[in-house]
Amino acid sequence: MAATIAGVFNPELQNLIKESKILLVGAGGIGCEVLKNLVLTGFSELEVIDLDTIEVSNLNRQFLFSKESVGKAKSHVAKTSVLKFNPNVNIMSHFGDIMDTKYGVAFFNKFKLVINALDNKKARSHVNRMCLSCQIPLIESGTMGYNGQVEFIKKGVTICYECNTRAEPRTYPMCTIRNTPKEPIHCIIWAKFLFNQLFGEIDEIVSFDEENIESEKLSARNWAIQNDYNPKKLFKKVFFDDIKALMNMKDLYADKKIKPVLLDESLLDQEHVKYSDVLDSEMLTLEQNISMFLDCVTPIKEQWEISTNKCLVWDKDDDMMMNFVVSCSNLRSALFNIPFKTHFDIKSMAGNIIPAIATANAMIAGQIVIHALRILRGKFEKCQNVFLRSMPNHKGGVLVKDRCLQPPNPKCNVCSSKGEIIFTTDMNNFTVRQLEELVLKKKLNMVAPDVTMLDRVIISSDETDGVDMYDMTLSEAGMTSGCSFDAEDDHQNFRVKIIAFDKEKSRDEDPDFEIFNNKNDLHTANEQNNKTKPDEDDEDDCFIDQAESTVCDNNGDTREAVNHLMVDKEEIGYEEVTEGGAEEIGNEEEEITEKISNEEIDAEEISNEEKLAIKRKADEAIEDINDAKKSRVD
Amino acid sequence: MASELMKNGDGEMSKDERKVYDRQIRLWGFDGQNKLRATKVLLIGMQGLGAEIAKNLILSGVNSITLKDHTEVSILDRCSQFLIPRDSEERNRAKASFSAAQKLNPNVKVIVDTTPIEENVDSFVTSFDLVIATECSPSTYKRLSENCRKSNVKIFIADVYGLFGYFYQDVISTHSLYGEVFPNNAEIDTLTSTKKKPQLYYLTSALLKFQSDSNRKPNPDTSEEDIEELKSIIHPQINDSSSDQENKESDVFEEYYGELFCELSPTTSIIGAMVSQTALNTVMNKPVDNYNVFFYDHIEHEGKFHLL
Ligand SMILES: [Zn+2]
Repeated sequence: MAATIAGVFNPELQNLIKESKILLVGAGGIGCEVLKNLVLTGFSELEVIDLDTIEVSNLNRQFLFSKESVGKAKSHVAKTSVLKFNPNVNIMSHFGDIMDTKYGVAFFNKFKLVINALDNKKARSHVNRMCLSCQIPLIESGTMGYNGQVEFIKKGVTICYECNTRAEPRTYPMCTIRNTPKEPIHCIIWAKFLFNQLFGEIDEIVSFDEENIESEKLSARNWAIQNDYNPKKLFKKVFFDDIKALMNMKDLYADKKIKPVLLDESLLDQEHVKYSDVLDSEMLTLEQNISMFLDCVTPIKEQWEISTNKCLVWDKDDDMMMNFVVSCSNLRSALFNIPFKTHFDIKSMAGNIIPAIATANAMIAGQIVIHALRILRGKFEKCQNVFLRSMPNHKGGVLVKDRCLQPPNPKCNVCSSKGEIIFTTDMNNFTVRQLEELVLKKKLNMVAPDVTMLDRVIISSDETDGVDMYDMTLSEAGMTSGCSFDAEDDHQNFRVKIIAFDKEKSRDEDPDFEIFNNKNDLHTANEQNNKTKPDEDDEDDCFIDQAESTVCDNNGDTREAVNHLMVDKEEIGYEEVTEGGAEEIGNEEEEITEKISNEEIDAEEISNEEKLAIKRKADEAIEDINDAKKSRVD
Repeated sequence: MASELMKNGDGEMSKDERKVYDRQIRLWGFDGQNKLRATKVLLIGMQGLGAEIAKNLILSGVNSITLKDHTEVSILDRCSQFLIPRDSEERNRAKASFSAAQKLNPNVKVIVDTTPIEENVDSFVTSFDLVIATECSPSTYKRLSENCRKSNVKIFIADVYGLFGYFYQDVISTHSLYGEVFPNNAEIDTLTSTKKKPQLYYLTSALLKFQSDSNRKPNPDTSEEDIEELKSIIHPQINDSSSDQENKESDVFEEYYGELFCELSPTTSIIGAMVSQTALNTVMNKPVDNYNVFFYDHIEHEGKFHLL
């Protein structure tokens, strides 16, 4: 505890360190390092919150944990571990979700500073709003592989976490997934989709071709139930009969280069082939994949039977579920002449795993505390955003910073009162419930939204209000094209004006709704839409919405809250990074970037990647145009 | 304690190891991980910076790490040494750090060595693939650098002074030795050198000269005298290299002086991680070989490599 030793810091700072109460949100990769650094520096009033428990794959970096602590609450174990080297510190650990309404304004107001060491956009947005609302300075952070960043957020002084639109998740055309897969990732998505059809959530909020999918999903499950999930029958249906049916739909493959090829019927009766001694980094043969498939169906079915609501959530850490996706995606690849992938690679892609190392977390955590020391003394101008590069830039820089603080975006929906959102949907079909679940909670990260239109309450977070219009369509609820309404979250002290436009779907595959930050974006989108002719390229066909409610550790572990099909946002991040500036970066880095994108790791977590893209751009900006302001991706 | 056979480097990576290292194997591959599993490290100095480096290397899964320190635990260690439990009865720093260090990763052989490096023969370093030295005297660094160059052992030399920190690396034989980059009498170098060096080079040289003269680092107990001493070392240097107005130049480090005492945690975390990752990358055949010195500037919060 440096602050207890006279002469180490100047007396003013020494007192600030001893007295300032700090909230650390997250006790994962960055969190462990930050907690250690805070305690050693002499901060003695700390609270730490995390909702996760410790997993084996955390142990390569979350050094406050050991094998014996696997399964226990991160926040509690982290506290116990730091007390060993410094028992004289007051740490309160919370095993819970920072978005829980019990951590409201009164809770946040206790702190001089909040540090985010989080792993998902939703929680980051939430803490951002809480800190803006309470006017508490916030340090936001993240790492991915060798890269990372530290950002300072203060209301009215800097850009907030939500000042800039974040890139939309990468989407894959549903038709590609179902009919014309070209790459392993398409088959992996399909395999996860199949898992959900058989064992997962019957999801009413699939944003494409709804009826069709619904019935298909139900029928696949019904078929499986009727056949008692017989592995061989299932194998024959999915990888033989269904493919034949597909091939019989002549026009489907008429003009396409991609056509399925039937597997040899003799495979239906093949002997069991051993695969257990194949390393996860080695490729399985077609025959081994078949045996793996046949072996995993029954154990999963048994899990499914005893699950709550007969609904399994696919989990990359469940060996059988992982084997299901490995074998199904490779078998699917075999049908479409796509190269197989190893178990290791498929796990990365299907499980959205972000690589993570101790050193990047430690560097970011060190910089967080340096920032904290400046913020406590009010030296905000010294708290520019810092980015950790994987390799030195041409000036040797590895930890590089923005040239100046980024000012708030006056049009921000969150930190400015002038923000408004344009929302388009088919008002005769979109329900009030969908508005709440899909738009306000999922898209806009609200926790307990209220909606009022011309003083009329449409959605109330207070059940005692007795407002229940959930099953009405927006039209029935009184909305008309061009109308505006207020959406508000009291807990977050966040309100935004939403202008709604009625827009019928021109194609089945169109999204159920769209969100724009201003009218210009809406016009641009409309123009682009008009230019694109449907069916010219199946990339434009029908887009799958992605799992937004999934969560991933800022440094590596993933957890999926809701399992829609899909590819998750991590992927985009990587792509952005590649686009963002790999060309200008040294060979080493290019290699790494390429390696990552080859593996097509994708994960649910978006902000890190966006930030990293921003970082790359920032690096270039610093190096080349000396204007970090232009570095933001909007 | 686990038997030697269960440790790293003996045969194939076990399933358990793969699970623990999963997130990093996805970054540097099985090849990289296997190279780390075969790497024997000597780490000299177990204060805060040493603790950080030990943590990072042990977590990464190197074959073995020898924690070498002959000195006793001090109250100043509390600023950054997190491997020594407060209730430890061991007086020696390396011994006191052993059990927390080993617990970080049972796959790594953690070895304690309490002999001063000065008492080891020159060839001592040849039993290691990688040497990382902290908290030694400038003359010891010079000797280590020469010995490692002779026997082709990669060496990293790192120190943290308060919130400021730097490291030197020798991973390519065409670069300068430590004693050439930081000669005992740095003034001579600034006179003869035509190339202007980064500002923090002069701060580092002054700190090293202070250490040579006083046989210790600047200390919080004597902070005022030590700052004066440093200023008197720095002033002629700055004047030699750029002969502008003396007053203006002498203020360059004004903000730095107050935060140069002890090894402070945020910077041990940064330098410890930077030196560890650079060393690990070197082992995995991805050295940063166009530079040899790294400075972390805590005032500007920038970390940069230089070729000196
Ligand atoms: Zn904002």
